[in-house]
Amino acid sequence: MAEVSLRNVKKQFGDTAVIKGVDLDVDDGQFCVFVGPSGCGKSTLLRMIAGLEEITSGELTIGGKDMTLVQPADRGVAMVFQSYALYPHMTVAQNIGFGLRMTGHPKDEIERRTKIASDMLQLNELMKRKPSQLSGGQRQRVAIGRAIVREPKVFLFDEPLSNLDAALRVQMRIEIGKLHQDLKATMIYVTHDQVEAMTMADKIVVLNAGRIEQVGSPLELYHRPANLFVAGFIGSPKMNVIKTTVLASNGGKLAVALPGGGTIALPGLGLAVSANQPVTLGIRPEHLAVTGKGDATVTVTLRLAEYLGSETMFYTSLADGGELSVKADGLASGKPGADMTIGISAAACHLFDASGKALINGDLTK
Amino acid sequence: MFPMPVQKAAPWVRVGYQILLPIALIAWLLPLLGVAVTSIRPAGDLAAGNYFGVPSYFAGVENYTAVFRDSPIGWYILNSFKITIPTVIGAVGISCLSGFALATYKFKANLWIFFLFVAGNFIPFQILMVPVRDFSVRTGMYDSIYGLILFHTAFQAGFCTLFMRNFIKGLPFALIESARVDGVTEWKIFRHIVLPLMRPAIAALSVLIFTFVWNDYFWATVMVQGQHAMPVTAGLYSLNGQWVAAWHLVSAGSIVAALPPVAMFFLMQKHFIAGLTLGATKG
Repeated sequence: MAEVSLRNVKKQFGDTAVIKGVDLDVDDGQFCVFVGPSGCGKSTLLRMIAGLEEITSGELTIGGKDMTLVQPADRGVAMVFQSYALYPHMTVAQNIGFGLRMTGHPKDEIERRTKIASDMLQLNELMKRKPSQLSGGQRQRVAIGRAIVREPKVFLFDEPLSNLDAALRVQMRIEIGKLHQDLKATMIYVTHDQVEAMTMADKIVVLNAGRIEQVGSPLELYHRPANLFVAGFIGSPKMNVIKTTVLASNGGKLAVALPGGGTIALPGLGLAVSANQPVTLGIRPEHLAVTGKGDATVTVTLRLAEYLGSETMFYTSLADGGELSVKADGLASGKPGADMTIGISAAACHLFDASGKALINGDLTK
Repeated sequence: MFPMPVQKAAPWVRVGYQILLPIALIAWLLPLLGVAVTSIRPAGDLAAGNYFGVPSYFAGVENYTAVFRDSPIGWYILNSFKITIPTVIGAVGISCLSGFALATYKFKANLWIFFLFVAGNFIPFQILMVPVRDFSVRTGMYDSIYGLILFHTAFQAGFCTLFMRNFIKGLPFALIESARVDGVTEWKIFRHIVLPLMRPAIAALSVLIFTFVWNDYFWATVMVQGQHAMPVTAGLYSLNGQWVAAWHLVSAGSIVAALPPVAMFFLMQKHFIAGLTLGATKG
């Protein structure tokens, strides 16, 4: 079995605390994605699981065994690097088989495993080439092949697609997804691209400044973000945030002020919220209606319209100077400077308190 | 384009360039040409005072065979090879290992040890003359080939380690990390991954050290007296004493002595291929 567990793992570089106490469980066979902004510590966390960085304090278990102090080679992990790290003086076949050759595996075993990997990744015609004769996508597949032949318990991917162009990235994403289905192995994947995270993960771990902000499935994080950071990070384009106040709280309803004078009633059953409490209202651009239909409306001035064909993005300004982005159907259009009435549905609204913690989630799956 | 190519410069610049360049070239090569011409000049010319004119006849074959027949220069050249080749192998070999260790492993004394290797090179070598001679006499290494080999290997190790350490630092560290995760031992990483990628550096350094040690005159005179261990640089000097003013023979001898480093350079040229690590990592 290949579950990975982290208990209160911390990492310090000198005086700087880079990882500040992480608790995490990755189940056997799960595809877990570490996502977060640059510098949040996701690569460092991955390298600590691989054994390339020392764990300052805390515990790491892989497959039930304590691996905190174990050498990388004995942890049963294989890593795919962002820069591929292919040995330039060896052919593809030699690159894939290198680790096995050096650790004394018999030749026929090496050939057998190399064949399986190259069939899976369609590398058969490239076996005699050197890395300098391969394209970026081919090099990345060789790097993945090198990890596969080791038959590890856990696969670790460190931003493997960030050096590829957009079209290739989409293709490789699908290939890695298929790989996960075929191998049924535990995979931990680091990326800063939340689209990769949403499309590939069984479980997403959102990291920020060395701490876990939230762990959950992609849709859970989309519909029920636990705080403002996760709400703003997951979902493209970014969620609109409006700083406002609660006007009144009666019965099960909260009246929240909208810019321009309107209010919207949100289901506030059981919440300890008082009148005049500062809150942040969050609503995703795709949940706003340019038709003006909704539980409340707000009047905005159009700044910029982006026509993508499949959709149109309207970037507008609110009465109080704040910004609101609205996603509309591809056939919608507008003139910059014109006024628009935007409809807001209460079911799609998120409410966050002054510290950023979620009070209400606009969970549309309910 | 910068600098301005000469074809695009003003006419007077171009003409000046075309006149001055050959003059500068000839002036630069004049000493070498002088030695070469003197080496084919017959002895009679020199006795008659014709040092810089056209030689009366081509005496090249005569002079060069005389050098090899009438003097121990053949032995001296052999001694030079006996000293230089083991030194190159020793110094480059040691520095591959020490450069790898300093470049790859993080330990507290890393920077201090590195500075130690480099700082040794800053001591003016004339100061070392007496202590080294004293040491070699006391340990019985004086006036021997292996004494010179040991000395040169130790002396060059500092510079070589600096060179190799910097080169290895420039290799992508992800290659070593990837091998470590794959379970490859450190020695195998060195032998199978780092060493093949160091070929250009090893080739360049070998030529450099070969030239330094082959052309060394100072330490040969300090540490060696007898003919059995004398390399060709100091040996040429002793030739001068044997025949007073036999410049034609000395010139021939120096041309012969200068050839091996040049040959070495041309032999190793194809190993100086840059870009050996293209394709290893992105970019």
